[in-house]
Amino acid sequence: MSIFEYNGSALVAMVGKNCFAIGSDRRLGVQLQTIATDFQRIFQIHDHLFIGLSGLGTDAQTLYQRLVFRHKLYQLREERDMKPETFANLVSAILYEKRFGPYFCQPVIAGLGDDNKPFICTMDSIGAKELAKDFVVAGTASESLYGACESMYKPDMEPEELFETVSQALQASLDRDCLSGWGGHVYLV
Amino acid sequence: MDKNLDFNGPHSMGTTIVGVTYKDGVILGADSRTSTGVYVANRASDKITQLTDNVYVCRSGSAADSQIVSDYVRYFLHQHTIQLGQPATVKVAANLVRLLAYNNKDMLQTGMIVGGWDKYEGGKIYGIPLGGTVIEQPFAIGGSGSSYLYGFFDQAWKEGMTKDEAEDLVKKAVSLAIARDGASGGVVRTVVINKDGATRNFYPGDQLPLWHEELMPQNSLLDIWGAAASPEPMTTE
Amino acid sequence: MTNAKFEAPPKGGFSFDLCKRNEMLLNKGLKAPGFLKTGTTIVGLIFQDGVILGADTRATEGPIVADKNCEKIHYMAPNIYCCGAGTAADTEAVTDMVSSQLKLHRYHTGRESRVVTSLTLLKTHLFRYQGYVSAALVLGGVDITGPHLHTIYPHGSTDTLPFATMGSGSLAAMSVFESKFREGLSKEEGIKLVCEAISSGIFNDLGSGSNVDVCVITKGNVEYLRNHVEPNPRTYTSAKGCTFTKPTEVLSTKVSLREKKAEVNEGGDAMEE
Repeated sequence: MSIFEYNGSALVAMVGKNCFAIGSDRRLGVQLQTIATDFQRIFQIHDHLFIGLSGLGTDAQTLYQRLVFRHKLYQLREERDMKPETFANLVSAILYEKRFGPYFCQPVIAGLGDDNKPFICTMDSIGAKELAKDFVVAGTASESLYGACESMYKPDMEPEELFETVSQALQASLDRDCLSGWGGHVYLV
Repeated sequence: MDKNLDFNGPHSMGTTIVGVTYKDGVILGADSRTSTGVYVANRASDKITQLTDNVYVCRSGSAADSQIVSDYVRYFLHQHTIQLGQPATVKVAANLVRLLAYNNKDMLQTGMIVGGWDKYEGGKIYGIPLGGTVIEQPFAIGGSGSSYLYGFFDQAWKEGMTKDEAEDLVKKAVSLAIARDGASGGVVRTVVINKDGATRNFYPGDQLPLWHEELMPQNSLLDIWGAAASPEPMTTE
Repeated sequence: MTNAKFEAPPKGGFSFDLCKRNEMLLNKGLKAPGFLKTGTTIVGLIFQDGVILGADTRATEGPIVADKNCEKIHYMAPNIYCCGAGTAADTEAVTDMVSSQLKLHRYHTGRESRVVTSLTLLKTHLFRYQGYVSAALVLGGVDITGPHLHTIYPHGSTDTLPFATMGSGSLAAMSVFESKFREGLSKEEGIKLVCEAISSGIFNDLGSGSNVDVCVITKGNVEYLRNHVEPNPRTYTSAKGCTFTKPTEVLSTKVSLREKKAEVNEGGDAMEE
């Protein structure tokens, strides 16, 4: 079994018209045994920037703490919030620093940039950025999420429709993955 | 996956390299094949690297290791030449290669032949095999192809050869090894170094002597099929 | 705790903190993860007035196509570009790092970067990590000494060639180059040959796919032709999209308004002392 599959997770982020949605499941397991049903995988960095951390729960929480720390330092120095692109570069640098002993974590970053332009991106556990125009997925349910999103996504969706699409894709994929489930959170910005 | 098809494996130069002394100087020779497993990564590589105006080195073994060693030695020799105000001797060059090869012998997979000419000792060849020993030799051979050449050199090398005799010997030796050693191939490159400086030569496959049952080099398989009056050759488009 | 250490942001270099823990996890029978790879076809050739680089646009993670349209031709300097194959994070990190070193070097010397400088920086880094930083690169550019094309392997060995291929599709692409390359190609012929080589990688190698990116570098000019050829357009989308018969059951909704951006007083009063 891969370390990524130890706790189980599902993450998805999708772009709409001047908006984005990021969703995750709520399960924390130890292999097939469910430990918690309200586990938090999506974290808010600031007003319009979110990061979802799939993979090993302990690493997700450690990484989140380091990211918050670095973001607060940035706020103190620059007196402003990080742009999503900048934040993605930060996450990538922090992950690549541990190239030969990585965090077992695959992040999904979603945020609104200047002029409310949505930005989404994902990475592997050593910080190889993958920028996408449409949607990104991560976690143990990623395979089914790829399929669901690939067929359900269409460009320039309004917020309500985007929410419905992400929720349906997430639910459909959770049903086909035994390591994630117990409902989901969807943040619509 | 077949281990031989591992493209991420280190590049090694299954090689034939030779260096001989002659009346007025030295001649170095090498084939031009660089391979990863069974794939020829470069069929026209240059394994004879310049260190200074009057000293060259033949590299064999891991491509990365031998390149880094020769890069460092070239850098040290340039520095040395400036500090001394005169060209470095072959002995100094060979000693620098030895120093790097010996001090890092746990990490390096490379055998080298240093050859050149200086005003104190004339033409000299130094062989530096795997562990970092340095041996001054009248002729040196190295690489996977060298196993086919020991007897040949014992018989064919003579003291005080002329330049043409010596270059013919080098050319003959490398093409013999290319014919028998699968890890050596391509063209033959030589460098002639004497008191007048260094001259590079290049002999493509169709200018090399042929050996026992060897076929003439062909530009294309289609030429062979065409010559045998086979059915219409395949064409693209 | 009295001796709690304040963790300042690192200044650079790798950190091996988690290696021991990860080894322990590995010994407990958990498998180490695979990384994002670019099972790739990348090529380059020298034509009459410069260098042409080419790449496919597929990124894979095991058997999954993780990105259908990624960028594999990386910027090094205004006159130098570099195609990367191997582990995506490594190719990205190593090219970014060297490109920043080159920029500092340009500020220092006030001269255009040379291709051999980037070649040396790349190979020393890769050699230092003994092949563990798995980046296979095709480096091309035009500088004061003319056009240059090099290949760099993960272990740090380099070759200088008139035409080069790398990645899992390198055999397919090389077969095209070996049969059709000649010296002194025109720009159009060069681009056509590069596209043909990449296409042969896209169609014959499973690790490569999607579109063809091309980058033409000539003296004083660069043309980055992103998605120059798109041989695999998506043909199966429905214009209607999806309709959901039953809306998602929402258990709770929380709405929080985004803070208004702080008003910046443009050209405000001058500071006084």
